[in-house]
Amino acid sequence: MKQTLSRGRFVAGTAGAAALTFGGGPYVIAAPTKEITIGLDVPQSGPYAEQGQDQLRAYHLAIDEINAKGGIMGMKVKTSEGDDQTKPGVATENAQRMIERDGAVMITGGSSTGTAVAVSGLCQQKNVIFMATLTHGDETTNQACHKHTFRRYNDAYMSAQSLARTLVTKYGTGKWFHITADYAWGHSVYDNLTAVVEPKGAKTIKNVLTPFPGTKDFSPMLQQAQAAKPDVLVLTEFGADMVTCLNQAAQFGLTKSTKILVPLVDEYMAKGTKDNFDNVVSTAPFFWKYHAAKFPGAKKFVDAFQKRYGFPPSNGAETAYADIYIYKMAVEKSGSLDPAKVIAVLESTKFQFTKELEWYRKEDHQGVTSCLVVEGIPESQRGPGGFDYAKVLEDHPGEKVIAPLAGLVCKMEPA
Amino acid sequence: MEALFQAMLGGLVLGLIYIAIAVGLTIIFGTLRLVNFAHGAFYAIGAYVGLVIAQRIGIGWAFIAAPIAVALFAILLDRLVLRSFYNKEATSQLLVTFGIALVVEESLRLIFGATTQQYTMPLALQGSFALGPVTYPAYRLLFAGGVIVMLALVWLFIEKTNYGLIVRAGVRDRVMVQLLGGNIRQASTIVFALGAAIAGLVGAAATPIYGIDPATGFAFLVPSFVVVVVGGLGSFWGAILGGLLIGQLQSLTNLAYAPASNVVIYLCMALVLLFRPQGLLGESEVIRQS
Repeated sequence: MKQTLSRGRFVAGTAGAAALTFGGGPYVIAAPTKEITIGLDVPQSGPYAEQGQDQLRAYHLAIDEINAKGGIMGMKVKTSEGDDQTKPGVATENAQRMIERDGAVMITGGSSTGTAVAVSGLCQQKNVIFMATLTHGDETTNQACHKHTFRRYNDAYMSAQSLARTLVTKYGTGKWFHITADYAWGHSVYDNLTAVVEPKGAKTIKNVLTPFPGTKDFSPMLQQAQAAKPDVLVLTEFGADMVTCLNQAAQFGLTKSTKILVPLVDEYMAKGTKDNFDNVVSTAPFFWKYHAAKFPGAKKFVDAFQKRYGFPPSNGAETAYADIYIYKMAVEKSGSLDPAKVIAVLESTKFQFTKELEWYRKEDHQGVTSCLVVEGIPESQRGPGGFDYAKVLEDHPGEKVIAPLAGLVCKMEPA
Repeated sequence: MEALFQAMLGGLVLGLIYIAIAVGLTIIFGTLRLVNFAHGAFYAIGAYVGLVIAQRIGIGWAFIAAPIAVALFAILLDRLVLRSFYNKEATSQLLVTFGIALVVEESLRLIFGATTQQYTMPLALQGSFALGPVTYPAYRLLFAGGVIVMLALVWLFIEKTNYGLIVRAGVRDRVMVQLLGGNIRQASTIVFALGAAIAGLVGAAATPIYGIDPATGFAFLVPSFVVVVVGGLGSFWGAILGGLLIGQLQSLTNLAYAPASNVVIYLCMALVLLFRPQGLLGESEVIRQS
């Protein structure tokens, strides 16, 4: 511990470019020192652009707050940013540039499970920590888990478990029709939801996969749903795709003829779908209004965000904000930038920033964090800007809804 | 059976949307021999002009302002940039129009941001119509009807006006038209502005259905190009046949196996290019000249 600390300070104080090897891989710190670079790899265009932009706002808020108070272990935090366009290839290219050209010590981002899994693999090879933000597919911390990747956002399994009771009481066990984004996240949500409701008697009549990204017209899928006359229509689409899909569903009269379920939502999706989101049930790991009333850390964050930008943060923004503080905590506690030591802290430390006491599970690096079941309210009741979009039906503790270790296929690399 | 009928109805409407964009592309190509990759940009500009006007003044004005604004933009583009490319080879045209498309897309991103925006359709049109056993959104049906009316007007323009005569003659032999005293320059500008205005109007009218982000123009340009290639470059009826075919193909594939619905239209294009390179209703002469 003491030795590491001195090495960290040595690095921080050394002028000139220094290429040092920490742990297994090459580790570069660009001159001048007394600074570290964090790579922010989020979509600023494409279907998840609104989510990516809100995360970027939260990253900047957290980093400016930290720099104003002396940085991380005395080192000023700089950023290297890139638009991943919600495309895994672009996200990986960005991360590579951030690591190799800008000497990023940590990469964070990923508004889709597709990009998160791709960046996670690269960061593992490069021996760089990856704090995955808004990624909800199980794959990120299960099938494609990596030693260097930590995901705090709840996964699709946790959403499905949290929804279990509501699904039966509100949606019932009739005929279920799914429209699902055709990539890792969509598949993961579909598998988890059907695993919860089918044993209770729900009948899945069809699952239509939609090309991702870039589907503009959901009418062919919606017409099939219309013809099938289901009791429940599940729209597993996210970001602008969900907005387009749900609004088009309303044009086909489906919001009136069937019960709509959207497994994951955020403030911007609710805003975009207006009254079409009224009465729709969904999940979210964070809701600014609910958490700010409950936790001082959340209140501080929500107030600061609101003061700086003029509107409250979405749940993706909260994840981004917390991830910067969690990384800071881990670096300071280990007294080092060495990924191996930071990982050891992240695997063994409980922390509290904006929610209850949370931690990462050592076995898969999934955050044990609570999951809210929310229900959309009419647009007229949502207050200025429409950010107060839902009422909270249930708040499930992370340890109650997280996937049991026995079922995991995650094979973590050795430390 | 009901599902099949629904899919075919959906395919018809989708096809008409593609046709509405493709018809501008094809008359511009037919008259000016210009491969216009900036056509999607016209759609996007129309959609954003529509968005701004609809939010500030009203949706009716949006449908008037969008085509006018886009036509003016097209005339400027024609006078300042494209004029010197009309007699160049297809590669140069492709590069310059592609460049324009990128400049427009990025400018729209700077001005309006990258997020998808939408304006709501009038309340009266938010409902749906019952058509036999199925119900279909009223706005989409109205949109489809509007496209048919617009196509009829374009056809009348080409077939019944003097400008249309020059346009049709120009498709056959540009030089001869000029030798005979036809003002093909002026006619060209009018056709270019008309094709652009149609794309702008479609952009404004389709936004309540699809929303708009800076990349949307390109997303619609690509299938519309497929429609034009399948139907025959420069052919008015080719665009209509191609659009109807592609719309049905995409919609029926969606019913059978949705993930293949984007691939199938390119497969169709590849088959047409292999076995009938001039397109279903295209003239082989047109291909040679270009």
